[in-house]
Amino acid sequence: MIVKSLVALLEGLFTVFKHLFKKSVTLQYPDERPNLPATFRGRHELSGCIGCGVCQQVCPCHAIYIEKDGKNVTSYKIDLRKCMFCGNCQYYCPVSAIKLKQDFELATGDEKDLLKELIRDKKEDEVIK
Amino acid sequence: MKLNLGPQHPSTHGVLRLILDVDGEKILACEPVIGYLHRGMEKMAEGMTYLQYLPTVDRVDYLSGFFNSFAYVTAVEKLLKITPPKKASIIRVLLMELNRIASHLLWLGTYLLDLGAVSPFFYTFRERELILNYFEKISGQRLMYNYFVFGGVRYELEEIDTIIPIVKAILEKLNDYEKLLTDNPIFLSRTKHLGILTREIALEYSITGPNLRASNSHLDFRSNTSEYKDFEFKIAKADEGDCFARYIVRLEEIRESSKIIYQAIDYLKREEIQKSPVNIDLKPMNLYVEPGEAFADVETPRGLTTCCIKADGTDKPYRVKWRTSSFYAVQLLPKLLIGHTISDVMAVYGSLDVMLPEVDR
Repeated sequence: MIVKSLVALLEGLFTVFKHLFKKSVTLQYPDERPNLPATFRGRHELSGCIGCGVCQQVCPCHAIYIEKDGKNVTSYKIDLRKCMFCGNCQYYCPVSAIKLKQDFELATGDEKDLLKELIRDKKEDEVIK
Repeated sequence: MKLNLGPQHPSTHGVLRLILDVDGEKILACEPVIGYLHRGMEKMAEGMTYLQYLPTVDRVDYLSGFFNSFAYVTAVEKLLKITPPKKASIIRVLLMELNRIASHLLWLGTYLLDLGAVSPFFYTFRERELILNYFEKISGQRLMYNYFVFGGVRYELEEIDTIIPIVKAILEKLNDYEKLLTDNPIFLSRTKHLGILTREIALEYSITGPNLRASNSHLDFRSNTSEYKDFEFKIAKADEGDCFARYIVRLEEIRESSKIIYQAIDYLKREEIQKSPVNIDLKPMNLYVEPGEAFADVETPRGLTTCCIKADGTDKPYRVKWRTSSFYAVQLLPKLLIGHTISDVMAVYGSLDVMLPEVDR
């Protein structure tokens, strides 16, 4: 009985000891970047919104604010303080206008950064060009 | 003497308060105090539409999100009188079994951490990461998948070929764990003949899942559901009903799950299934459900989870009721702990695999 226990203990210790020579699996985060898949649900991007309001209806946290002038969408805001990144808006959008992108580093010192306008000005677009 | 254990105790896996009545080291009585993690999942459903509530059900038990989604989605599908395509139900089974492995691996690591063994914790989390990375690839997040929809699953399953190497690696590592633990005299003396749960008490307290199957019972709700009809697997079982038996049952369940995963991948590679769509294209602005009641159950890693929905014809459920098995496991503690010492509290409690978010909902 004692011999059997001793053998089992040594076997266990050997299993642990083997791991000393194995490659580390830890990702050294700020230095190494994680390899995120295309489906990852991070910060939102918007292009070609028609202002139908489906995303507002399916959002569980009521985090989407849309302002319209007639048929034109003048303002589209997502409150990241409320958003739970479920991806419902992306899935139910009829024109695939809203997409959740790979950007996951949302920490900020200014609260205003979390409630940003997603529709870009045409002037801004020209500057980028 | 009264001893207060928790609510902020590292081995309670959440916030559970145990009021122990002790005489020296011996426990005379135990009273679990729950409710610290209550988020009102049931009441919340009444103010949300069916579509809005879907992403939140993953949070009922965050270690096995697919199972909760499955229970809710099947209940709503019964109300809508639709059946998902064959391919979707196979994908659901495949993902749920992978999730079961991930959940059991986390249990194994944290349970041994409770008992004082640190290295298995790192090993099991390393293997669990393989599964979580795959889940992130297909659904977008590691724990809150939100992948099942009414009438199927969201997207096509990607990179099916990468699943088999993952499962093979885990099965290989499982042998390592067994070498480390099954004959280890320290582990044996901390778990054998401890917290013995007889079959009668287990049935009296409505215990389900591995906890019941470790007490000489065959009850597995997978065997009589239509989703698992085409899959062959053995029901893992042990007779003793002590902490060690529960450990054996869970390790055996990982092996059985891997068999189901292999079969599911074989099914998915068949031509007639490959062509079929992955969901019924159901993308409404609003989902109106006819009045009625529906009930769905699923065997989660912790036991039976059921979801009962009463619909009143609007786009919001009238009432959603969750039955989660960890709640019943906590009620067992006063029965199991009496007569044991304080150092055995965590050994018994950990072996029941109680998930506090699931208890309080």
